[in-house]
Amino acid sequence: MRIWLLALCCLVLAGCTTSRARVAAPELTTPVTAGSAGLLVKPVARLALLTVAGLTERRDDWSRDAATHLAAGFQAELAKRDHPFNLVDLSGQMEGRTGQVLRLNEAVGDTIQTYEFGAQRLPTKAKGFDWTLGEGTRLLRGDSGADHALFVTARGTWSSPGRKVLLVGAAIIGTPIPMGSQTLSASLVDLRTGRVIWYNQALAGPADDMRTPEGAQALAASVLKGAPL
Amino acid sequence: MIRTVSALALAFCLWGSALAAPAADTVMRSANLRPASGSPEAGLWQASDEAETYARQSADLDSDPVLGAYVRNLICKLAPEYCGELRILVMTRPVLNATAAPNGYVEVYSGLMLRSRTESELAYVLGHEISHFARNHALAQWQRNKTRGNVTLAIQVGVSVVAIAAMASVANSGDFYAPNKIDYIGDAAQTLSDLAYIHGLATYFAYSREDESEADRLGQIRAHGVGYDPWAAPAIWQSVGAEVRASEYPEVRKSLARATIFDTHPLTEDRIEALKRAAGSTPHQTAEESRAEEQAYRAIIRPHLAVWLRDDLRRRDLGQSLHLISRLEAVGEDLGLLAYYRGEAYRQRHRDGDLSSALAAYRLSITHADAPAEAWRELGEAESRAGNAPAAIRALETYLTRAPGSEDRWLIESELETLKASHS
Ligand SMILES: [Zn+2]
Repeated sequence: MRIWLLALCCLVLAGCTTSRARVAAPELTTPVTAGSAGLLVKPVARLALLTVAGLTERRDDWSRDAATHLAAGFQAELAKRDHPFNLVDLSGQMEGRTGQVLRLNEAVGDTIQTYEFGAQRLPTKAKGFDWTLGEGTRLLRGDSGADHALFVTARGTWSSPGRKVLLVGAAIIGTPIPMGSQTLSASLVDLRTGRVIWYNQALAGPADDMRTPEGAQALAASVLKGAPL
Repeated sequence: MIRTVSALALAFCLWGSALAAPAADTVMRSANLRPASGSPEAGLWQASDEAETYARQSADLDSDPVLGAYVRNLICKLAPEYCGELRILVMTRPVLNATAAPNGYVEVYSGLMLRSRTESELAYVLGHEISHFARNHALAQWQRNKTRGNVTLAIQVGVSVVAIAAMASVANSGDFYAPNKIDYIGDAAQTLSDLAYIHGLATYFAYSREDESEADRLGQIRAHGVGYDPWAAPAIWQSVGAEVRASEYPEVRKSLARATIFDTHPLTEDRIEALKRAAGSTPHQTAEESRAEEQAYRAIIRPHLAVWLRDDLRRRDLGQSLHLISRLEAVGEDLGLLAYYRGEAYRQRHRDGDLSSALAAYRLSITHADAPAEAWRELGEAESRAGNAPAAIRALETYLTRAPGSEDRWLIESELETLKASHS
C-alpha cells in the first residue's frame, strides 16, 4: 500500500518512477561474482487501453513494442555494469520441463507481488525475503554457463481520450475514476540454486513511457537501481 | 464447487437460442485472416495466443494422437476452408463445452464427446463453434460490450451526480484508487445504478442470444451440408436439458429457468423448437441407421470411456452422472463398464437404498465380458458390507486373479484374511 501512496505523491510532485526492491538475506544467496554471465530472458509485456467504461482492451502493438524496447533498455543498462547479460527468447520452450520452470517462475512472481508488495503478508514469509524456484532452474542454464537470469514483466493500461475527459468531469463533481497505470517488475534468479535473490517492482511515472525506447531504458534504470549487480 | 455445479448450466449460457434464420448475405470471415496491428481484434488475438500457450501446457490436454486426428478430421470435414488455420486441442474436462478462439485455436472438451450420442451430435456442436469463429462473434461481442459498458457507466455517473450533491461528504472520501466508492453514495442512487446495470445486462443477453442463435442455425446447416443428421442438433440439446433436470442440486435444476431471466418462456424450448423447425422435412433416421451411427461413434470413444466416466463422477453431481450412464447404456454396448460406474455413482452418493443399488450394479457388471477388474473389488467390498462373506471372498479373490499386479494387493490380501478368519 505504501508504495502506492508514495507513488501517488511522486506522480503529483515530480512525475517520477518509483520502486522499492526486496532482497534475499545474504546467508540465503551466493554473492554475484564480478564478471559472471547472466541471461536476460526476453521481457513479457501485457499492455492495454483503458476504455471510457473501464474495460481493458489489449493492444498487441504496444505490448510487442514495449517488450522489444525493454529488452534493449535493460541490455543497455546492464552493459554499464560488470556483468555480461545475453538476451534469450524462451517463449518457444513453453512445453516440457523448461516450460514448467518458466510457469513456476511466473507463479512465484505473482505471489511475490501479492504478498511482498500488497497489503498482506504470509505468516511463513514474515522473517525476510525468502523465495526459491528450486534447482529445476539449472535447466535454463543450458550450455550458456550463466549463473543468473533476469526476468522482466510489464503490465499496464493507458486511458483512452474519452476516459480522460470523463476524469475531468468526474473530478469536478467529486467522483473518483481510476486512470491507467503501468508497472514493471524484475526478478533476479540464481540459476544454480533457484533462489530469487532480488525482486523489484516499479510504478512508472508519466514521463517514462515504455512504448518508446527512451522511456523503456529510463524505466529499466529505475528498476535496476540497487540491484546486486 | 460452483464450477462443478454450474458445469452444464454453463453450456446453456454459451448457446442461447435459435430465433431467427440467418440473412441470405451472411458473410463469413476469409481464410487465414490476420488482423491489423493495433486493432482491438489484434489485441484479442494476442490474448488468445497466450491462452493457447497455457492450454498447450495444461495437464488436461489429451495426448492420444488417434483421438486428436479424429476430431481434427471431423472439423476439417465441417470447415475445409479453415482446416489449415484451426489448431485443435482435446481437453480432458468433464463438462459439455467447446470453444473456438479468434486466433484459430479450438478446445474440444471430453465432456462434450462423452455426451454426444453420435458423430452427428458432435458435428453439430463443433459446427456451432466453427460458426462463431467464421462470423467473428468474439470481436462483435467485445465491441458491443465496450459500447454498452460506456453507456452503463454514463448512466451510473449521471445518477451519482444527483446523489453526490446531497452527500458530498461521503463522495469526498479522498481514496483515489477505490473504484467502488460509488457504492457508498446512498441507497437511492445505488438502486438506480443497479437498474442501469441490469438494463445493460439484459441488453447484453439479448445481443448475445442473436449470435448464439445464428451459430446454432449455421452449425446445423454446416453439419447437414456434409451429410450429418440435422435432427441431431435438437437431440443433443434435449439430452443436455434432461441431464440438468436430473441434477442432485436444486440450484442446477433451476439454472434452466434462470438463463431466461429476461425472457418469457424457456430458452431451451426456444432453441429446440427452432432447430426442429430448421430440420423441417428432412426424414428422421431409421432405427437401423440410428443404431449404426451410435455404434460407430461408440467404437471411437470406447478407449476413453472409463477415464471420462471416472472424471465425470468427480464432478460430484451423481444424479447427472447416473442420468448420463443410462443414456450411454441405451446403446446396448459397454454394459459391464457402465454398470460398474453406475455402482460407483450409487456408492459415492450413499443415500437411502444407494448401497443396495450399488451392490446390484456390481453384480450385474461382472456378468458382462467387459467388466473392469475393479468391479470385482468393489463387489467384494459391497458383499462384505452386506454381510455375505463367502460372496465377498470369491469376488476379492477374482479381483486378485484379474489384476495380479495391482497396487492395493496387500490391502485386499489382508482383508481376505480377516474375512476368512471371521467366517470359518
Ligand atoms: Zn455458442
